[in-house]
Amino acid sequence: MKKSDKKEKYQEVAYYPGCALEGSGHAYNRSTKALGEKLGLKLKEVDNWNCCGAMEVKNIDPKLQTYLSSRVMSTAANKMKMDVVMAPCNGCYHNLKKAEYDLENDQDSRDVVDRLSKKAGHETYQAGQVETIHALDWVKDTIGEEGLKERVKNSLEGIKIANYYGCMYTRPRHIFPEKDAGPGSESTSKPHFMDDLLDAAGAENVDFPLKTACCGGAHTLSDSDTSTRLVSNILQTAEAAGAEVIATECPTCHSGLEMHQIRAEKTLGIKTNVKIIYFTQLLGMALGLKPKKVGLHENVSDSFDFVKKKGLA
Amino acid sequence: MPIHEKSLIRPENLKVQENIELEGIDVSGHWSTFIESRVVTDYNEAMEEEIAALPGGEFIHRCWQCGSCTNSCTVNAINADFNPRYWIYLIRTGMESELLRDKDIIWQCVSCNKCTYACPRDVVPEGVMKATAHWLELKGHTPKSHSTIFDEIFSEQVIETGKIEDGRTIRRYFKQTGQALRQPWLEEMVKRLLRNLPIGMLTRMGLANFITPKTAGWSGARDAIKEYVSEQEAHHRKVLGLDDLVKAAENEL
Repeated sequence: MKKSDKKEKYQEVAYYPGCALEGSGHAYNRSTKALGEKLGLKLKEVDNWNCCGAMEVKNIDPKLQTYLSSRVMSTAANKMKMDVVMAPCNGCYHNLKKAEYDLENDQDSRDVVDRLSKKAGHETYQAGQVETIHALDWVKDTIGEEGLKERVKNSLEGIKIANYYGCMYTRPRHIFPEKDAGPGSESTSKPHFMDDLLDAAGAENVDFPLKTACCGGAHTLSDSDTSTRLVSNILQTAEAAGAEVIATECPTCHSGLEMHQIRAEKTLGIKTNVKIIYFTQLLGMALGLKPKKVGLHENVSDSFDFVKKKGLA
Repeated sequence: MPIHEKSLIRPENLKVQENIELEGIDVSGHWSTFIESRVVTDYNEAMEEEIAALPGGEFIHRCWQCGSCTNSCTVNAINADFNPRYWIYLIRTGMESELLRDKDIIWQCVSCNKCTYACPRDVVPEGVMKATAHWLELKGHTPKSHSTIFDEIFSEQVIETGKIEDGRTIRRYFKQTGQALRQPWLEEMVKRLLRNLPIGMLTRMGLANFITPKTAGWSGARDAIKEYVSEQEAHHRKVLGLDDLVKAAENEL
């Protein structure tokens, strides 16, 4: 698809916040909506949506997860007549993409989804009815770097940022056919969409080698010691790279980093001071939104003094 | 990148001669170390097929042992005993007793999918790890891991209501695994969270304790899913011959 077509197509999208954004990741929900409003982009929340299955349901049965995700896409396509679903949560985004891939390529998945949809009493989702995009695609393809530059009120100048994308945004590669597709597309080995946007808002992105490292989010509670070690590795590497802020684009990564930053301090004696802020919060503040408007008070890690010092409040 | 794997030779199989003299020359010490050979006779020929029948294990037969999975593995980087390549080898050759030596760590796969990304044969090693952990539990080799308990609590709530409320899931998980909710780090986290929260948000969070979020009109989906899940469970029990095992045990009693 041409860039200008995407710009047109993503002006109004079906918005799928998912469960995390109604709970621990509410700051991401608030800041995404505020950003959309500020940029004049329309979000129509998916009617009566359900959980995508997160990282847990697939361990009970992968096809059940495919069904859960397909129901969300079916509602967007058949009830709301939308052709784009935007999911800011990496888990939701990943699961919808995975369902799309499986429904396109696997007859067994199609059979299970069809059977469950019919019994549940709604139309079966057919592969290709909607396009699932991430909040990063949404901002990048509608407003883009040039558009952001024009709109910046409080430049992020002088803020050193490590961009952290986590696992689900790029892996496994085959469910993201639009990535690694030549110039301008997202890279699965070295993603850069968040870097591009924050750079346009004036930030200084540091060279961060753990962009797609794992925070242990799937076992954040069931194997906390492993998660704490993985997270402290990410936090310490970001600080070593000179970052003051880790920008996040996934509620599981975000709350995992915040939670295990505290846990690392309490159990391993590893104290780090790097701030953990959603990219939508950073962009929102750069566009002149107040910290509370982008839910900075809903983060566990306190970055009020920091953003004040940097002239964003 | 070279593949680094911890030595797979067991320490107890290393034989060092403390005092040995050969043709008048002293050859004692570690440089004359031998590895005791071992004989494996108890192959489990059904193991690969059984694991392949569980969700995630379908493509284990494609593996050609390149080691890309272990090389890219997140957990292997912090625990060298966590070795997907080796486990796939053991499963495919039927060396059950060897696999069981690592039974208590296989569930620790964090599903980061680096292995699936790196695998040149589309084995989906992440799925194989989940299937193997599941197999170990179904066969009674390990109790349900904390990960499985969490998955079950989570999935049960999704199936019942269509949605997840994270506070409730966390509380149920801590209760069911017998852990105290008052962990120092968790308390510190809540304290920091409360510092900046307005009353409205607190009320909303408080209400979530009493009002479970629900997807309206979910009952049709719930019933369809429950029927499907119990069918799948019955299928897995059949493939693994679990009902026969139970029957045989009962007859013995």
